[in-house]
Amino acid sequence: MPSHDTEGTSDGTSTNRRTFMKAAGAAGVAGLSAAAGCLGGGGGKPTINIYTWEEYANFKDQIENSLDVKLEITKGTSSAKMFSAFNSGQDAQYDIVIPNNNYIPKLLDADLIAPVQKDAVPNFDSMYGKFKEFANSQFSKGGEMYGIPIRFGWYGISYDTRAIPDPKHSYSELWNEKYKGNIVQYDNHFKAISGTALYLGFTDAFEGDKVSLTTDQLKQCKQKLIEEKPLLEGYIAADPTYIKSFEQGNHTIGFSGRNEIVEMWSNGDDWVDYFVPDEGSLAWFEGAAVSKKSDNKEMAWKVINEYISPKIGASLAKAGYSPSCNPKTQQNLSDAENKLYGAVDPSRLDGFIPFKAIENEDAWVSAWEDVKTA
Amino acid sequence: MSTGHTSETRRQLIRAFSSTRRRLGLTVGPSLVWLMLLLLAPLSFMIAVSFLKVNDAYQIVYEPTLANYGNLFAGSGPFWQSSFFQSLVLSYELAFVTTIVCLALAFPLAYLLARRGGRTFKVVIFLVLLPFFTMYLVRAYSWFLMFGSNGVINSTLMTLGIVSEPVKLFGFGKFAIIVGLTHAYFPYMLLSLYASLDGLDFSLVEAARDLGASRIETLRDIIVPLVLPGIISGSLFVFVPSLGAFITPRFLGQGKVLMIGQLIENRIDSLYAINYGGAASMFIVVSIVIAFALAFRYVSIEDLGGI
Repeated sequence: MPSHDTEGTSDGTSTNRRTFMKAAGAAGVAGLSAAAGCLGGGGGKPTINIYTWEEYANFKDQIENSLDVKLEITKGTSSAKMFSAFNSGQDAQYDIVIPNNNYIPKLLDADLIAPVQKDAVPNFDSMYGKFKEFANSQFSKGGEMYGIPIRFGWYGISYDTRAIPDPKHSYSELWNEKYKGNIVQYDNHFKAISGTALYLGFTDAFEGDKVSLTTDQLKQCKQKLIEEKPLLEGYIAADPTYIKSFEQGNHTIGFSGRNEIVEMWSNGDDWVDYFVPDEGSLAWFEGAAVSKKSDNKEMAWKVINEYISPKIGASLAKAGYSPSCNPKTQQNLSDAENKLYGAVDPSRLDGFIPFKAIENEDAWVSAWEDVKTA
Repeated sequence: MSTGHTSETRRQLIRAFSSTRRRLGLTVGPSLVWLMLLLLAPLSFMIAVSFLKVNDAYQIVYEPTLANYGNLFAGSGPFWQSSFFQSLVLSYELAFVTTIVCLALAFPLAYLLARRGGRTFKVVIFLVLLPFFTMYLVRAYSWFLMFGSNGVINSTLMTLGIVSEPVKLFGFGKFAIIVGLTHAYFPYMLLSLYASLDGLDFSLVEAARDLGASRIETLRDIIVPLVLPGIISGSLFVFVPSLGAFITPRFLGQGKVLMIGQLIENRIDSLYAINYGGAASMFIVVSIVIAFALAFRYVSIEDLGGI
């Protein structure tokens, strides 16, 4: 009678069933332990989970070494998605979120973020006065501040100088029949309708805490955008798609952020240029907030402080082609880099109309849908 | 003795799973739990939310209402002029056209593969499935480079002197979306048709031809009725995902086309209007249920599965 040790084998030298099961079980336990190790975080260091833009991940090692912390970075592509993720329960998963400024009031309204621990963010004191002002107005509620500005930029009109040597510095160029089929409008209800509102002269609507177009003004903006539609190559929001479309020659003029154009200049595309319309310019800035459910709030604010520090802030500005809200970052940029995304004439900041929450956003989204389905 | 212990354990296990119910629980149970957690539970939540409100703090208010369904068609004009209705009709239109195009392209190829078989089948299937080893987003982006006023297609036509200015058809819009969706779902139609055609008795086709039926009559009266299950299952596999597509229209519509998936995504991202999104999604769910109900009217589930 064959022994159980060799049962199922031909010559007793290959693995028998019992040995195989033991080995497989041991491998499974080892694998699960390794996975648990990966999920559980390293050693005794706190882990800070961040939902932010792609280039923030470039400075993970520097911050981890500086603060003795572990960072887990989730890369996002839109502020809207960051907001809806937080609102659908993922605020428990992340410590920090960094959307555009107009989403911080939404996160505040949804009671998802914690007040700033100012002692942990000393670099805030070095910020441009304008952004301190914005943080104290837009990011504040009940006397407490809930967000820290990181980088900023502004929107305007970019154009191919080979096709359009001398455009008029006005939003009206986006409705110019001469460029039919070669115009790109921004694919976002806030930016497209706000730009159109500025073009139509509704600047009063941007003066309060929220953007407030009347029903009639919104109707006029919608009609104007519907008139524009036959002239368009398309609507584009994503930076890489805009750049690709520009380089491919699919469009010659469009409503875009300045950072896309700075990126193109940095890559040697000197045929593209950019202007801020005379009617006014929309400015964005990133707002870093800490989740109310974070277990490491103080450390999270320290991490945010690193992103506006002179050294990492300068590198972050360079990575995203967008200036830091801390002017001290200019010390760590060359003259050429400062010209592109470092030094900003403070008087320019006065002319900015910052992104804001919308008074009747439901109506704006409906109007935008009407434009898209027209 | 360990040998005795092992035998006892084995006897206990056999006793524990001797009943049919316990064996069924072990085999079907995990899949059922999976389906309930990841399909039925989210679907039930979506249906429930479509009848609830969301307040200014983006929290669900548990007060049942039909207002969400009314708001879908709200606007200054009649309901058929609302953006939701127009987007829904457009989505049905594009999904239907994509299905017809997939059927028209896949049927001859599936017929050829069923007749030839062997090496031809392997080579063709490999070529059809090869793009699917890459990420869908990469494939959609590659189509983005092809279309546009100065995309690869228009540039080539202008360089060859065939046209003097960009052809509007090859710009971004409905045509580009149909091409992208057809490329994405063509294999599903091909494989469904092939599964049906492979089981077809081609001697019936020969008999029909011998008895004087034309090619069209043979196709209409012999082949199509016999491969109807494959046509229907392939059509479902193309129509259903095409209806809710939003990545392909985002890239290839360049914002000029608003399909229902994009409309729902935009509402939820901008306003966290999950109640609106739930109500809008119900139209997709109900139309898919109707499509399946109609399908089962003509074919049985065994036929759909190719059994």
